[in-house]
Amino acid sequence: MFSNLYRQCLVEKHFVYNLFPLCKWSQCFASSQPELATESTIQAFEEPEKRSIKLEQRFIYPEFLPDPKIEWRNSIRERLERQDMLKRRSQIEIPEFYVGTIMAVTSFTPHSTSKKNRFLGICIQRKGCGLRATFVLRNIIDNLGTEVAYHLYDPTIEKIEVIRLEKRLDDELFYLRDALPEYSTFPLDMEPVILPDNTPIPVNTTQVILKPRPWVGRWERTDFKGINREHMMTLISDKMKMQIAKHQKPWEKYDLMKQYRATIPEEEQKEIFAEVYSQLHQLELGKKKSKRIRTFVKPKKSA
Amino acid sequence: MARVTPSKLLNFISPKIHLYSRVSKESCNLPIVTALGQSFQIRERRPAAPKPRFPLWFLKKERVQYNESLTVDNKNFIKEVSHDKFGPPAIISGLSTYDTPSPLKEQPLVKGEWTENTKRCGLITRKIGCYPMWDVKGRLIWSTLLQVVDNHVVSFIPSENINSERKNRKAKNPLGALLIGAESCDPQKYTKEYCGLFAGAGLPPKRFLSKFFITPNAKIQPGTPLYATHFQPGDVIDVAGVTIDRGFQGVMKRWGFKGMPKSHGVTKTHRRGGNIGGGGEKARVWPGTKMPGHMGNKRRILRGLTIWRINTKYNVLYVQGLAIPGETNSIITIFDTILPLRKKKQAPAYFPTFYPSDLDDPLPEDLYENSVHHFDAPTITFEEPK
Amino acid sequence: MNQADLSKLVSKLRINIRPRHYNLKNPKGPEGRLERLRIVVTGLIKHERIQLNYRVADEARGYAERLISEAIRYGDCHAPTMEIADYWLTEKQLIHKLFKVLVPRFHECNMSYTKLLRLSTDHELTRMQGVLELRGNPYPPLIKDLSRNRNLLHNVLLDAARKDYRHEQYLRIAQGMSSEGKKSNEETITGNIEDKDKNEKA
Repeated sequence: MFSNLYRQCLVEKHFVYNLFPLCKWSQCFASSQPELATESTIQAFEEPEKRSIKLEQRFIYPEFLPDPKIEWRNSIRERLERQDMLKRRSQIEIPEFYVGTIMAVTSFTPHSTSKKNRFLGICIQRKGCGLRATFVLRNIIDNLGTEVAYHLYDPTIEKIEVIRLEKRLDDELFYLRDALPEYSTFPLDMEPVILPDNTPIPVNTTQVILKPRPWVGRWERTDFKGINREHMMTLISDKMKMQIAKHQKPWEKYDLMKQYRATIPEEEQKEIFAEVYSQLHQLELGKKKSKRIRTFVKPKKSA
Repeated sequence: MARVTPSKLLNFISPKIHLYSRVSKESCNLPIVTALGQSFQIRERRPAAPKPRFPLWFLKKERVQYNESLTVDNKNFIKEVSHDKFGPPAIISGLSTYDTPSPLKEQPLVKGEWTENTKRCGLITRKIGCYPMWDVKGRLIWSTLLQVVDNHVVSFIPSENINSERKNRKAKNPLGALLIGAESCDPQKYTKEYCGLFAGAGLPPKRFLSKFFITPNAKIQPGTPLYATHFQPGDVIDVAGVTIDRGFQGVMKRWGFKGMPKSHGVTKTHRRGGNIGGGGEKARVWPGTKMPGHMGNKRRILRGLTIWRINTKYNVLYVQGLAIPGETNSIITIFDTILPLRKKKQAPAYFPTFYPSDLDDPLPEDLYENSVHHFDAPTITFEEPK
Repeated sequence: MNQADLSKLVSKLRINIRPRHYNLKNPKGPEGRLERLRIVVTGLIKHERIQLNYRVADEARGYAERLISEAIRYGDCHAPTMEIADYWLTEKQLIHKLFKVLVPRFHECNMSYTKLLRLSTDHELTRMQGVLELRGNPYPPLIKDLSRNRNLLHNVLLDAARKDYRHEQYLRIAQGMSSEGKKSNEETITGNIEDKDKNEKA
């Protein structure tokens, strides 16, 4: 569609820049002469792929990126925070996980009788940056929806196991609270599924069916892809349907500065990951070794 | 200040004339304005703040930055002269400053003896953010990070020269004052008079100044750098800063009123304060009634905060709590607490301040309070009772 | 506490970003605000230098910079970038200008792509005005660069002061050479000073 539009523009041929001789610009920027736009643009188009390979880590370690709010940023605080995170990571293996992953957390609590507690559930939210990073696990236990929020760097957490590594269609799964209970019920003794190395993370494309209203959120106004929209529309009144369009914000995808203020620029991300690269790499190597040992032990048990 | 005339400029740079006017003996007594002294309207039940008055040592600090159209050579020359005087620019413990050759002209002063009534000087810090830590029992501790930003002692003002209202009172222990400066700056930024304040100590001009009242036995030689290890983990301190400016606010935000119901027949009064006075003899608004108005941007002191941890590499103090006044990256002064029950009963580890030359081995990078969990320590476990 | 948005990678802008946007009150709300800024961005790309209300200029500057940096980053074969360009440039021939003129012009530029200057205005009568311009525009510069003029009085006096300073340095070194025998160190120092002088002359 857009290429068509571009072609149309080409046909119109209203070249404003023809009004000025190009040589004037070339005086100012001797290095970049406006010759053939096509070559340079093709080069520019190829580059992003190379970039994304280097910065893949941002999905695995999102909490290493600082809070993008400008008033709260301070480079020294961020560096100290990263060092403390690495120190904790040297003590406990924090695996790669995403929202939608089923995981089990074993932690110590002084208040329970056994002092040790293991909770298994689906990760419905991952938020916060630095040492504040938290994640929320949800499961239904004895017909009661249960959610536990953990600090990722809490020193009372003994072990974080990934039972089934997968992604969902959304970054937040709070709609599971209003979905039928089978979508968030997982047996506490689930067997871990081990993915072979270098496989892409599988994406679970289930679309949940919601319970009838009342809900904790106005899901009809959101664009979560993991909700079965056709079924949801049968559950809401005509008045609510009318109001959906009113609450859409289609202009937000053009608000370039809003997007910019919500992210960390690529150059800064590179700096951050270059700083922690060597330590993270060593931790990963250690993880692989322990993984090999584990996979070796398992068949023994079954035999 | 008027535009810098060429002759003045020549005076400023010419090597034959001193770069900055030396501080005369009289001006040593002159106090300096802190950035924190401001006048406010007082609208609440709080003890009236002391009346703000210009200290005698009030000097014009900043000059207007005109575009002087200097050639590149001349710009570099001005830089060269200032670097010859104050040392090359360097990054020391994460802050860009000058690598000043030790400005201690004489030997450090003879260290005084600590007594129970001693008052030490404090530090100027920058609030750089908040983050969680855990104690050895696995409980969450929220801490605020205060970085000691390139602090130096600028001058010592003996008690008899302190020109204040206190002078007239017959105090048992007359207090002197130490002038502390933080964050070295390019001398071109400031006026000649202001730069002259630092000439006595051989320091580049500092962006922030603060005066701390001390007992004479706690005085320090001007030019001495101060570090975060002036305090120890476990020490109790008071912090002073200017709160976040929130502008004109209603009673719900400013005083935490409950407001009124959203519905059930309530109209036009959802966030209003309601009644502000009675009738009869009290038929007027009493002074100190909580009403909407300007919120924040006031100097506030928070007392009795514990230091959980100290980072000696970046000079960062991890102080208890999230309620330290001011925004992130704002300036905060800290000093030993004056709370009678939490005051120091024993001599501090380093008195009057920490000198790195006193130690044979450098300190470890992180110093923790005993009850704080180290991030590189193993997981906290609890054993089952048998 | 927020987490950085991971879905998009953006290039760093070389301008100072305000922590929060200017509201620019508009009866149509945030949508109207963007529409107003769109007119400014289109005008800037078209005319390369415009004069307007300072706050609007400051706000539009960020959007113009982002638009150019996206165009440099992804080029004209990238559908989302083309959609954004289509939204921000209401005159469609300007899309050609963006990709064929501005992208090559700023491709290796390591400064900001735009300049914002404050105009001295009568504050009682008008709001603060600013001039927003693209770098490398064909118009004569707004501010004359006098830094190459050695004949300004400041520069004449400073040149003299520098000569004196160098002279003193030489004297000090000569004294040091006569009193002490540390030749090797001082030779390097004199060498440095001579180098400096040569650079200055060049």
